[in-house]
Amino acid sequence: MTHPTAEAGGLAIEATAVAKSFGSVQALRGVDLTVRPGMLAALLGPNGAGKTTLVRILTTLLRQDAGTVRVLGRDVLAHPYAVRALIGLTGQYAGLDEALTGRDNLVLIGRLAGLGRREARLRATELAERFGLAAAAGRAAATYSGGMRRRLDLAASLMNRPALLILDEPTTGLDPGSRVELWAALRELRELGTTMLLTTQYLEEADRFADAVHVLDHGVIIASGTAAQLKARTGEQVVDVLLAGQDAGAAAAALRPSIAAADLRVDEASRRLTILARDGLGTLLAAAALLQAAGIGVADIALRQPSLDEAFLTLTAGAPR
Amino acid sequence: MMPAGMAGAGPGLVAGGRGGRRERPGPGRLARDSLLIAGRYLRVLRGSPGRLIYPLLQPVLIMVLFVSVMENLASVPGGLYRQFLIPGIMIQNVVLTAPVTGLAIVRDAATGLADRFRSLPMPRSAVLSGRSASDTVVFFAQALVMLGVAYLLGFHVRTGLAGVAGIIAVVIGFGTALGITCAWLALLIRDVETAERALYFPFIPLAFVSSAYAPVDRLAGWLQPIARVNPVTAAVDVVRALADGGPLAVPVVHLVVWTAVLAVIPGMLAVRRWQSAP
Repeated sequence: MTHPTAEAGGLAIEATAVAKSFGSVQALRGVDLTVRPGMLAALLGPNGAGKTTLVRILTTLLRQDAGTVRVLGRDVLAHPYAVRALIGLTGQYAGLDEALTGRDNLVLIGRLAGLGRREARLRATELAERFGLAAAAGRAAATYSGGMRRRLDLAASLMNRPALLILDEPTTGLDPGSRVELWAALRELRELGTTMLLTTQYLEEADRFADAVHVLDHGVIIASGTAAQLKARTGEQVVDVLLAGQDAGAAAAALRPSIAAADLRVDEASRRLTILARDGLGTLLAAAALLQAAGIGVADIALRQPSLDEAFLTLTAGAPR
Repeated sequence: MMPAGMAGAGPGLVAGGRGGRRERPGPGRLARDSLLIAGRYLRVLRGSPGRLIYPLLQPVLIMVLFVSVMENLASVPGGLYRQFLIPGIMIQNVVLTAPVTGLAIVRDAATGLADRFRSLPMPRSAVLSGRSASDTVVFFAQALVMLGVAYLLGFHVRTGLAGVAGIIAVVIGFGTALGITCAWLALLIRDVETAERALYFPFIPLAFVSSAYAPVDRLAGWLQPIARVNPVTAAVDVVRALADGGPLAVPVVHLVVWTAVLAVIPGMLAVRRWQSAP
């Protein structure tokens, strides 16, 4: 598949200083975002960060108040129909007609995307097979499980062979098995050359699968890069302590003399302490000594790179409110 | 709304591969996509024919009840009250069926499917015109049922087959136009449950303050000017003229103007509203 993306220096998405307000609420406050072709980019952010607003602007469902957005070289405000012809959208809520069969959904959406009747039918059959829906294609979408519905929705977004696929929280609400299947499908698409931007709350997924991660918080992108780069940006390694007993509170108190409260995170439920290792191995040794002096049992203690989760929390904690 | 600069960029028909520089779709694409959307609604209807029961049973019930209860209470100059009343009940049924369209549009606007449609390179007005096109099928079926029941109740169409065809056309045209108005009102209201209650409310006086149940000059004095301009009066008068062979020109002009006004202005506003939905 080759797509005409050359006009904008080959960028799939190029957003500059995008702002959008709803009444007095500033949803986006100057977002800059670039996505190169062939990439799987993740847009990460807590609820209310503006992820869906940005997705709706990129897909021409919403017009920004300020800033410019070019999708596959086309300005979204000046050429919305051209943009729509080139993208696929898998929204947060399935874009399906529950009363129609899986196949009828695909054919209808394909035809409305501009395919001819015959072409739409062939493509529907092909995609139903690829997403394991061939057997269910004759049944009403209302009878589908959550995972099947998501796959049908994804197949519908692919009917017009989009050069860019935008997915808004595609794995939210899926059971672990369906999530793995969906990710396998997305990886396969990336290998076929489809550029993707997806929003997710599952940091681990972004870490494992995305080529680039963009962290959105309070309407601005606060960090962009590979997962490894983001982790490196937060700097320090961490000391991970797994307690033998339930005394997480006592352990935290024991560490206080030499470790600042801001550097310590306590997860009572999993009996885990995470300490920012400002002193590398020295922090580990100090923590081990303090815990031993307080008589607190330790099941495991290790020095490691921060997870994307921690990087995310560190990044969002420093963001302007 | 589209910036003005891009509208003239080519024929806009569906021809040409996807992924090209296709710009705003033209009227050919609108017709094609409206039919696709209409086909979708009709396929849903075929899949659950129960949805047709209410629009088809309601006129039977109302017609039989109204004729039985009211026939001996009222009389009109120059004929049977039954012959006078039945066109009124027909149009009243159309008025009560029209809000269904508006509600369907609002229900769709609140789902992921609406976003799917809005993100496709299709003319956005096709969703509304497609729904209206599928409604003509419902109104056609309703017209046939009403004429059948009316015939059994002793209603005569003195102008023959042409008159019957004319009555069917009035039911379809007036019903579809009202449906478009309802779609616009429902899109203004946005909330499905509020729309459900609100849309029926203005339609009760609309149906009663008209020539549907009594000649306009028998209504209370202050109601008469309202009844005279009421589009329901126009539609009922045309059906009566077709049934009794009376003079057609004035009520037809009145009805055509109203139908155009109800279809075109709210239609354009509804499309704008649909496009700008959050």
